[in-house]
Amino acid sequence: LTPQSTAGETTTDWSLLARIGQKDEEALSALYDRYAGLVFSEAKRILRDAGAAEEILQDLFFQVWRTAEKFDPAKGSLAGWLLVSARNRAISKLRKRSGASEELDENGVAFRVDVESHAAQKVLLDKVRTVMASLPENQRAALECAYFEGMSHAEIAKKTGQPLGTVKTRIRSAMEELKKVLR
Amino acid sequence: LSEAEHIRAEELELLALGASPEREAAAIQAHVSGCEQCAAKLAEARGNAALLSFAAKQEQAAGTVKAELMARIRANRESEERNAWPRKVQLPPEPIQPQRRARVSWWTWALSAAAVVLALVSFGLSWQNRRITAELQSERHAADRLVHDREQIEKYVGVLAAPDTVTVKLAGMGEAAGASGMVKFNTKAGAVLYAADLPQLPAGRSYQMWLVPKNGAPISAGLLGPGGHAWGSMWTGDVPPNTAAKAFAVTVEPVGGVTQPTGPKVLLGAM
Repeated sequence: LTPQSTAGETTTDWSLLARIGQKDEEALSALYDRYAGLVFSEAKRILRDAGAAEEILQDLFFQVWRTAEKFDPAKGSLAGWLLVSARNRAISKLRKRSGASEELDENGVAFRVDVESHAAQKVLLDKVRTVMASLPENQRAALECAYFEGMSHAEIAKKTGQPLGTVKTRIRSAMEELKKVLR
Repeated sequence: LSEAEHIRAEELELLALGASPEREAAAIQAHVSGCEQCAAKLAEARGNAALLSFAAKQEQAAGTVKAELMARIRANRESEERNAWPRKVQLPPEPIQPQRRARVSWWTWALSAAAVVLALVSFGLSWQNRRITAELQSERHAADRLVHDREQIEKYVGVLAAPDTVTVKLAGMGEAAGASGMVKFNTKAGAVLYAADLPQLPAGRSYQMWLVPKNGAPISAGLLGPGGHAWGSMWTGDVPPNTAAKAFAVTVEPVGGVTQPTGPKVLLGAM
């Protein structure tokens, strides 16, 4: 991970969001610097198109700017929401679905790990990569087909020629391993 | 899915990963929207799924993206300020002392600046107009979907609440051997089908539900999929009132349906 800037590293997401709600451009700039790399990398991994991923990145942060005051901290994490929303938008674009954009106060995401600094993000990146590398190939592939390609379990079963139940079990086992990074 | 039952953790995990088929996803979402316990579990499953974002190779977006974003929010902010009520009173500009030697140059710069501002304002208004139109259209579609869902739910409840409703279990057949279904049938209120694990339909095809009467040819009970009446994983079917049924079946037919079954059976169940 190459931080674009270290501005605002010590400020929490919530205080940045509160300032964005007051139309503070510096706060949006700091939030962008904090998460743009993660959001862009995820969207590009799905779309394999830097231009399309940049469009999603910009639209997502523009939505944060417009609707920051709607975000309810009780419903989850801003970082989690950004990552899940970027993923959903990229998958909608990839599969040419007419995905409605999520509002900040909907679809809570409980992301139980601190990623508010680039150092913390780096630690998590290393942990997740280690787990992914340790997964059996078929489990890792099933997980990636679902998350990065937007395939349903039935589509994965058809693609791999495996029974539906096997695919579900592989996904579940892989998720159990992945969740260990939270412990 | 019953409102009284909670969604299993594995189903929530699949939904969070985006691995649930659209019909199942819609049914789960419908339950979650009214169940705080499942909503909390789904939020946690989404957080766990988001860990996968960290498996992507890390790259940086072009620096111009941030510059464009900041320009966009400034334009948005200025537009909102212009449209705010009450409008700010525009004071006349301070009189400018003419400078004889620079007079031609000053006007040239002023006109150029005005042209640039007008072009930016025009672009901003045009962009805003497109966005508002798109948002309105999206809201209309959402409202239509809600009306449709409400009608389906009312019908669904009408069938389930009737004391003389019967249950018919359907088994998967042929290429859909892994599928299963259940029909709740009421001779007055109609039929509701819940189907699980039906294979993805090929292009130009739809599932069609059939009531096989005790006497006579099968009667179409409606389409499942394109053009059908669905709410989540449940479909409502219209059948002539007081028809004595012998069995229910689901076949693969051309989109729009047929008057008599022609395609392969995917679900079948006798009364």
